[in-house]
Amino acid sequence: MTFWQVMTIEARKRMSYRADFWLGAILGLGAQIGICIFLALAIFRESGSERIGEYTVRGMVLYYVVVQLVAKIVRSTEMEMGVSQDIYEGGLTRYLLYPTSYGLFKYAQQLGALAPSLIQVLLLGAWVPFVFAGEAEVTLASAVMCLAAIAVANVLYFLLGTVIQLVASWADNVWSLMVANRIAAALFGGFMIPLSLFPPWARAILAWTPFPYLFAFPLDALFGRLSPADWARGMGLALGWCGGVAILGKILWRRGMIQYTGVGI
Amino acid sequence: MIRYARLYLHFLRFSFSRAMEFRFDFFFRVAMDALWYAVNFGFFWLLYRHTGLFGGWNYDQVLIFMGAVFVADAIQMTVFSNNMWALPMLINKGDLDYYLVRPVSALWFVSLREFAANSFLNLLMALSVFAWMLARYPLSLGMGGVAVYVAFLGMGVFLHYCLQMLFLIPSFWMHTSHGLRDVFWSLEAVTNRPHGIFTGWVRRLLISILPFSLVVSYPTRILFEGITFPLFLHMTGVSAATFLVMLLLWRRGLRDYASASS
Repeated sequence: MTFWQVMTIEARKRMSYRADFWLGAILGLGAQIGICIFLALAIFRESGSERIGEYTVRGMVLYYVVVQLVAKIVRSTEMEMGVSQDIYEGGLTRYLLYPTSYGLFKYAQQLGALAPSLIQVLLLGAWVPFVFAGEAEVTLASAVMCLAAIAVANVLYFLLGTVIQLVASWADNVWSLMVANRIAAALFGGFMIPLSLFPPWARAILAWTPFPYLFAFPLDALFGRLSPADWARGMGLALGWCGGVAILGKILWRRGMIQYTGVGI
Repeated sequence: MIRYARLYLHFLRFSFSRAMEFRFDFFFRVAMDALWYAVNFGFFWLLYRHTGLFGGWNYDQVLIFMGAVFVADAIQMTVFSNNMWALPMLINKGDLDYYLVRPVSALWFVSLREFAANSFLNLLMALSVFAWMLARYPLSLGMGGVAVYVAFLGMGVFLHYCLQMLFLIPSFWMHTSHGLRDVFWSLEAVTNRPHGIFTGWVRRLLISILPFSLVVSYPTRILFEGITFPLFLHMTGVSAATFLVMLLLWRRGLRDYASASS
């Protein structure tokens, strides 16, 4: 109940900034998608190939468009640094008094903050099935598998960001660490370039890291490149990473609370 | 001029002494930038496994381009970024008053007051990578060509500053906490890609009205193709026009600025 209330309050707050919403949607996300489309077209134009890896030119453009939309949801409010700010500014004190988990409270806020992003993704993604009709076979099952993978990716990204920000209990600034996480996730998660274009040895290593489950895995699920067994195995690994990162977060939280000092609420 | 130089030296001294209090941040910033360099080199290495050219440039040329991108970014992070970050908040909270009452140019003061000393090491690292990429280029570039390149890269960095200001100045009228900063960040990604990948009206847009491709890509083009009068005119003309537009908007913004403090 509290989770739902926090989420809806945050969603209403975010939707009240209408100018930001439209500028963010049309100019920001639109520009990112546009740059990626030109990138994909340039690769094919200059290589002279009709197929690179498993992609045709339309397939590659589709990948870049969809990965931008998925990333918008998975990343959510990553760079707002809410947790580290609470630690630095003493805002954490009031959460310690609330009869609820700090992590759950923050995740509810993040989900609420997703509301404008979801609408932007729906608006900008609505034309994708028409423009790329026939390029990928999306079924109801693959769509459901993709949505589940996005949900887990969102939790995993949130947990990674939270654990990094908990370092704020010891370090004077963790912004650089957050940016480093974003940079690593972009390349190794398949956001900058599809993972199938990596050499096989690199893909074998990446499969054991959390990064492919952030962007590439939901896309593979959507485009029907995963069998139910592959999907279940991938979800298991992604959830395993969530569990592992959550445990690390718990340890950092306990140690950090010994260090934490705050005045008033 | 000397007064401004002396004042800037004070800014530097203050920034370095403050940065030394945050030693973790020094280390984290170096690690972050090292990762950013590695990821970008990795990205292009992967790309060139599947194509011989990208944006009309081969792998060695793109490495020089990326070295220049790192330098431009490091200068921006060291000299301007902290100031740009704070500007919308100064406007919205009325703290800009503090800058307006000083006996120096408000634009100069607002743009340069905070020198990010904790990014200075990254600037040295970026310069080293850039020099390495120039040195490993298989053909002779000539000292004159490199000197012209560096000069135009400097102009590109200044253009980047003007563009960023153009996206922040609307804070005077929008009353949001960050103006059009997110839109700028999205468009800024263009500076990290060769201009040759863009075609048609988008390319024309990116070298004229929204000249992000002139920041690093066009100077790199000058290095490989040589300086011609039309190219010189294009770079200087667009940079000067962008600066003038920024200056006009800044003055207009100051006229409409409603102070919030006493």
